[in-house]
Amino acid sequence: MTTRRMRREEEVGAMGTTEGRSREEGEGRPPSRLPIPRTGDFLGKHRLSAAINRLDQEIHSLQEELDKLDSTEPSSAACKEVLVSMEGIPDALLPVTRGPEIAAWNRWFERVRSSHGHKWWQKGSDFS
Amino acid sequence: MSVAELKERHIAAKATVNGLRERLKQRRQALLDTDVVGYAKSHGKTAISLGSTDLVCCRTMQGHTGKVYVRIAELEKPDVMRKYRGKDVSNDCLSHNAHKKKCVKLSWFAAKVYSLDWAPERNRIVSASQDGRLIVWNALTSQKTHAIKLHCAWVMTCAFAPYSQSVACGGLDSACSIFNLNSQVDRDGNIPISRILTGHKGYVSSCQYVPDQESRLITSSGDQTCVLWDVSTGQRISVFGGEFPSGHTADVLSVSVNSSNSNMFVSGSCDATARLWDTRKASPAVRTYHGHEGDVNAVKFFPDGQRLGTGSDDGTCRLFDMGTGHQLQVYSQQHDSNDNDVPIVTSIAFSISGRLLFAGYSNGDCYVWDTLVAEVVLNLGTLQNSHEGRISCLGLSSDGSALCTGSWDKSLKIWAFGGHRRVIHSLH
Repeated sequence: MTTRRMRREEEVGAMGTTEGRSREEGEGRPPSRLPIPRTGDFLGKHRLSAAINRLDQEIHSLQEELDKLDSTEPSSAACKEVLVSMEGIPDALLPVTRGPEIAAWNRWFERVRSSHGHKWWQKGSDFS
Repeated sequence: MSVAELKERHIAAKATVNGLRERLKQRRQALLDTDVVGYAKSHGKTAISLGSTDLVCCRTMQGHTGKVYVRIAELEKPDVMRKYRGKDVSNDCLSHNAHKKKCVKLSWFAAKVYSLDWAPERNRIVSASQDGRLIVWNALTSQKTHAIKLHCAWVMTCAFAPYSQSVACGGLDSACSIFNLNSQVDRDGNIPISRILTGHKGYVSSCQYVPDQESRLITSSGDQTCVLWDVSTGQRISVFGGEFPSGHTADVLSVSVNSSNSNMFVSGSCDATARLWDTRKASPAVRTYHGHEGDVNAVKFFPDGQRLGTGSDDGTCRLFDMGTGHQLQVYSQQHDSNDNDVPIVTSIAFSISGRLLFAGYSNGDCYVWDTLVAEVVLNLGTLQNSHEGRISCLGLSSDGSALCTGSWDKSLKIWAFGGHRRVIHSLH
């Protein structure tokens, strides 16, 4: 989207430049055609100004981010936290886990009667 | 200022932005003194060992399958033809014993599953499928408790509300529909819409309720924004991105709300970034996470609420540190350099401790990554009773005891640990 917008802005910018050249060449002589409305020029300036504003905002936030990095810890600090955060959390899907083991973890393998039929599920069975 | 001068300023500003981006990239690189694997291995961590019968498919749920035997003579009647239009007709011509007349078997199958979400209480799931329906399941008994026909069949996402009384969905209608599961059904047996959230200018790709807040919902959209909604009034509370600075610059595909701090949420986008947002201050984005080389299809907070995982069209999952923005780890398989069809990551979820990362792929694989050593310890896609098509969505039950996967093979599957579990108790 940005590329299309910039190309359009360049086209509009070129229109304004061409118009200026024609006026210089034609100084002292009556214009050979009616003056071209300056709408295209206005739109080009407006879009360019908006694009520059957006870029200025981005420059500001990139600069802020760079400044913050001066006091940011290296990744090893976060890696340590990742390791530490996992310890002590009981996890039903791990083969080796901290306790306590919750009985409800195994409910998926208990005999459950479906009212649609007589399906039973048991640990180790072939299910579908 | 003339157009020419403005153009010069524009070019200069662009060059400044590019220069700053490059400096930022180098500065970040210099701060990456290790990744998770390097740190974990240096502390003696080795891969989890999961056998092929440890994670078991213990339920398969398929919606709206059915079959009926219809007498051939009946089949030509217009009302019967209308009723069964679109159903597959078996090539066999079966003889029905009871009537001793020639019948054909008509069967119909569920449609592709696009999205699923577990209810906060442990056993219920809502799923959304290609046939334009939401189904609410009791995953323990495999039974459907609700089937909701949607006004717009093109649904992409669904979510369960915090107290499990409502479900939400959204899609190509650019709106999010809310259904109260306790509503009286209408004459056609359908649950009526209780609220419709309109305002997005593009498709709704993902939605999630804010934990413990039944009236707060966050959506992501093809219009490049995310929105925080007040479900009780239908109003937008905040818009994240769009015309405001530092928003996504392409379609937003996924959201994840931080359950440790529900003011924060993260979004993933076709602009190859994930962004962190603070609901109290919509603009600008708090942080942008760079690294992926393709659309970020999936984002999920790590269980400790301080890290986030992402999954992308570039075939990798990544772990980022929320606060610093560091890319802590890349999870990717080696592929042949000639192989142009690297499977894309469609969906991710962490086990409750964060030790396992489940990733669904477009080729039907569902890798179980050991997050500490970045190794695939199991592939659910190669196990008995595995899915036969793309994994489109997956999610963990609230107690972490089961994983549900949804697929384009039109089924949902529940996976749980069925092996021998060794429990370590703390010593005092």
